[in-house]
Amino acid sequence: MKRSVRIAAFIAVLAAAAALLIAETLVIKVQTTSLRREPKFYAASVATLRQGETLERISAEGAWIQARNTAGVTGWVHESAVEARKFKLAAMDKGLKTQATAGEVALAGKGFNKQVEDSYKARNTGADYDAVERMLKIAVSPEAVLAFLKKGRLDVEGGSR
Amino acid sequence: MRDLKLSVSAVVLGSLILSGCSVIDQGLDLAGDKSPISSADRQTVGKTTQALRSTFAEITDEEEYYIGRAVAALILARYPAYENRELTQYLNLLGTAIAWNSDRPETFAGYRFLVLDTDEVNALAAPGGFVFVSKGLLRLCRDEDMLAVLLAHEIGHVTARHGLQSIKKSRLVDAFKVIGSEVARRYGPQELAQLTDVFEDVLGDIVESLVERGYDRKYEYEADALAVRFASGTGYDPLALPDLLQAIEDRSADSEGRGWYRTHPTPKQRIDRAGKHIAPLPEPSPAGADVRSQRFALAMKNLK
Repeated sequence: MKRSVRIAAFIAVLAAAAALLIAETLVIKVQTTSLRREPKFYAASVATLRQGETLERISAEGAWIQARNTAGVTGWVHESAVEARKFKLAAMDKGLKTQATAGEVALAGKGFNKQVEDSYKARNTGADYDAVERMLKIAVSPEAVLAFLKKGRLDVEGGSR
Repeated sequence: MRDLKLSVSAVVLGSLILSGCSVIDQGLDLAGDKSPISSADRQTVGKTTQALRSTFAEITDEEEYYIGRAVAALILARYPAYENRELTQYLNLLGTAIAWNSDRPETFAGYRFLVLDTDEVNALAAPGGFVFVSKGLLRLCRDEDMLAVLLAHEIGHVTARHGLQSIKKSRLVDAFKVIGSEVARRYGPQELAQLTDVFEDVLGDIVESLVERGYDRKYEYEADALAVRFASGTGYDPLALPDLLQAIEDRSADSEGRGWYRTHPTPKQRIDRAGKHIAPLPEPSPAGADVRSQRFALAMKNLK
C-alpha cells in the first residue's frame, strides 16, 4: 500500500515535470531570426534561428525570452518570433485545439504556401511579383538602425516593452 | 517484480506525456490500444488533430506572408515604386526603429517600407509588413516626427493584423477545409485549384478594404492609438499625429476623394480620439531635434 502511494506520487511528479517541460518548448515561426547575446535587437547574434527550429525557454525579461537552442547555445529571442508549444493531454480545451492545428499547418509548410502562390501567379500575370522581390531586397542592418536612433537621440531600448 | 512493472508503466506514461506533441502530430496511432490513455482521451485527441482552423487569428505567420506578398504585388501593379535610394534607406531605418518599439517587431520576413510614385495622398500596409507611402503623402510631412507617426500607424495595422481581419470568414472555412483534408505537403491538382480560388477571394477581400473601401473605422482608431504608443516609445512626439491629420485635412479640397480620403474616417474625428491617447504621455525630449530635422530635409530634398 505504502509502496503504491510512493509510486503514484512518483508518477504525479513525473507527469508534472513533463507538462512543464512541454510548456517550455518554443518553435521559431519566422523565416529567420537571431539568438542574441543580450535582449536587444542590435545585440550580437550568437546563432541563426530558422523557421521550425525548437528552443528551450529559460527565463523572460519583458518581451524577450532567454532560451537555449538544440546545439546548447543560450541567448535571447523576441517573443514575436516564437510560438510556445503547449500541448497538455489533460486539458483539451477549445483554444488548444486551434493551436494544435495551426501549429501542424506551420510544421508541414502547408496552407497558403509557395505552391499556391505559383498557381496564383500563373493565373494572375498582372500582379507585380518582381517589384515585391525588389522590395524584399531592401536591407537595413541592426547596427545602422542603432546608429540612426543614437544620432537622433531617440530610444535605444527597442522591443523591451 | 510488481515494482518493476509499475516503474516501467510510470516511465511509459512519463515518456508519453513528454512526447505529447509528436503523438498529436502523428495522429495518435502510436498509442494504440495498449496505451495508458483512456479511449475517451484518445477520441478527444483524435478530434483535436482533425479540428479545422476557422478564424483569421489562426492564419500562420508564413501564410500571412504569402497573402502579404500577393497584396503587395497587386499594389505595385497599380502604383510603381519611386526609385530614390537615399529616401528608401531613410524610410527603412525610421520604420524599422519604430517596428522595434511595436508589439510585433518580428514578422515572417520582416518589415519593408517603400515610396509609391504617385501624387495621390495615400499609405497602405499589406499583411506581414509590406508598408507603402505615396509621394503625395510624404510631401505633407513637415518633419521626422510626422513621418514617424505615419509609419507607426501603418505598423499598427500590421501588428493588429487588420488586413487579415477583413477576410470574410467563409473564405477561411473553405480554405481550411482543403488544407485540413490533405496530408501531403504538396497539393494535388484539384486541391490546388480550389485553394487558389480561395486565395484569390482572400486577396479580393483585403484589397477591397485596403484600396477601395477602407478599413472599418474602429481599426483606424486602433491603428492611431497604436501609432501614438509606438512613436512615443521610440522617442517621437505623438502630437505629430494630430499635426499630420490636420495637414491631410487641409489638402482634402483638391484630393477628389481619392486614396486616403476615400478609405479613412475624417481627420477631425481622429484628432479628437488621438488626443485622449496623447494626453497622459510625457513630453518628448527636444534633444536631437536638429539632427532629425537635418536628416529629414536631406532625405526629402530630391523628392520630385
